[in-house]
Amino acid sequence: MKRLLISLTVALAMMFVLTSCAKQPTQEMNDSKAAIDAAIAEGGEKYAKEEVKKLNDDLTAAMDEIKVQDGKFFKNYDKAKEMLAAVKSGADALKAEIPARKEKAKNDATAALDAAKTAVSDAKALLAKAPKGKGTKADIEALKADVAGLEAALTEADGMMTSEDYFAAIDKANGAKDKAAQVAEQISQAMAKKK
Amino acid sequence: MHSRFVHGILSTFLLICLSILYGCKAAPVPPEVALAETQEHELWRAGAEIYFPREYREHKAVLRNGKDHFIAEQSRFVWFRNYESVQKEFSSIISNGNNLFKKIQEHKSSKSAAIAGQIVFFQNKLETLKKLTTLINEGRLSRRQLMTAELLLNEVQRLTEKGKFQEAEKKLRIIPVYTASATEAIAPVLNRYANKEQIAKWRAWVNDTIEVSREKGIYSIFVSKLDRKLILYKNGVPYKTYAIGLGKNGFHDKLHAGDLATPEGKYRITKKQPRSKYYKALLINYPNEEDSRQFARAKKNGLISTKVGIGGLIEIHGGGIEGMTYGCIALENNNMDELYHLVDIGTPVTIVGAIDYDNIISSTIKDL
Repeated sequence: MKRLLISLTVALAMMFVLTSCAKQPTQEMNDSKAAIDAAIAEGGEKYAKEEVKKLNDDLTAAMDEIKVQDGKFFKNYDKAKEMLAAVKSGADALKAEIPARKEKAKNDATAALDAAKTAVSDAKALLAKAPKGKGTKADIEALKADVAGLEAALTEADGMMTSEDYFAAIDKANGAKDKAAQVAEQISQAMAKKK
Repeated sequence: MHSRFVHGILSTFLLICLSILYGCKAAPVPPEVALAETQEHELWRAGAEIYFPREYREHKAVLRNGKDHFIAEQSRFVWFRNYESVQKEFSSIISNGNNLFKKIQEHKSSKSAAIAGQIVFFQNKLETLKKLTTLINEGRLSRRQLMTAELLLNEVQRLTEKGKFQEAEKKLRIIPVYTASATEAIAPVLNRYANKEQIAKWRAWVNDTIEVSREKGIYSIFVSKLDRKLILYKNGVPYKTYAIGLGKNGFHDKLHAGDLATPEGKYRITKKQPRSKYYKALLINYPNEEDSRQFARAKKNGLISTKVGIGGLIEIHGGGIEGMTYGCIALENNNMDELYHLVDIGTPVTIVGAIDYDNIISSTIKDL
């Protein structure tokens, strides 16, 4: 009888350990959320939108796993903890990578803007060679206004750089560069016609 | 003996419990669950959040609901788990997701087509406006506005290629601001060339000039700014036609000194200059009486500064038609030679904007 009582006590103790000791990984949950928020604050939505979405999905999956365990008689949050740890380390890695992406975008935008500025100043230099005053052809006059329009676009792109809107600055600069090349070609043609 | 029996029963019970707990195989998770999650990600990538936010939110809510049912099922004891209803639910979610995906694709493709149409529309409009500004030498502000519009259109094209339709549409909405501004800048000049009364007046002047040539058997000159032609009439019949060049504001009617405009009206040659800064020149009697009246009216109404003069020294001269004059009419030197020898002091010179109502400006501005 004594042995029976001991066996029952051990069984009850084991059940108690299995069902009550496992607690929700609250700290890990908060850490993972905070890590994603930090990655977003670093510019994740702009420079790593896809990855941020994936991290949020993974976090949801981890939370779902916690819910699964919450509903179980024998709780085991090990898998959820692993998932949360992966989310946290992914978010931390992403946060660390964003400045480099931002820097790359900035460098790309600077290069695009420099190329556009060179193209516009080339066109302007060509215009400066065009005959002046009464001998200036009508189309040269029109092209002067076109170059002024291109310069206005460059000023706008400079403003985008200041507000760190690098992708928009790249588009604006590339457009201005292409157009400046066309204008330069038109200036050359107009000047050739004059000769 | 009794205790050994009870102990045996208890051990068997524990063994059964352990085998139930760890030995039973769980029902397999339906593949639809993972598929639905992948689909949700694809919907997001396709822009569901942007193009169909309400439907996407609803889809996500239904998916969440399905997941909660799945979680509830997963939380059961292994041998109580039954994913049949979950599988059914997720199949329906996937089917709805597929419909939403199709909807997005259709929407994007119609957006792409609509934007492409708009791009063509604005390209044509910009081309027309550029052509008109070149035709009337009206650069400056309008050309700057047109260049800005062109650059925006370029950005719209780039954004469309990247599938960023919303951003492309946003930029498309700004373009009319610049085209309208450019049109407004050139409208005062253009409208005169599409005004029936104005053209009738110009035509009457030309007819008078031709009539004088016919009646008196003399040469008379008529200049059409829009056609950029100088036609020399002899005995009321066209005798020679020369291409001409005008000034920066050549399509405006001259009002005062320094406005770079070419006067419109009935004049005559007052002086022949065999040696001029611009090869040879024929001076006309600008300002005539009508010009003086017009100038006085403009001053009285405050349209021009009280300090400004009416100007003068308007000539038909050589130097080539590609140059920009200060309001004179320029000819190629060989043509100037010919004209110079054919006409005399007193030869009538009528300068008009256009003589036909159905001209390039009137027909083009109809499309603007």
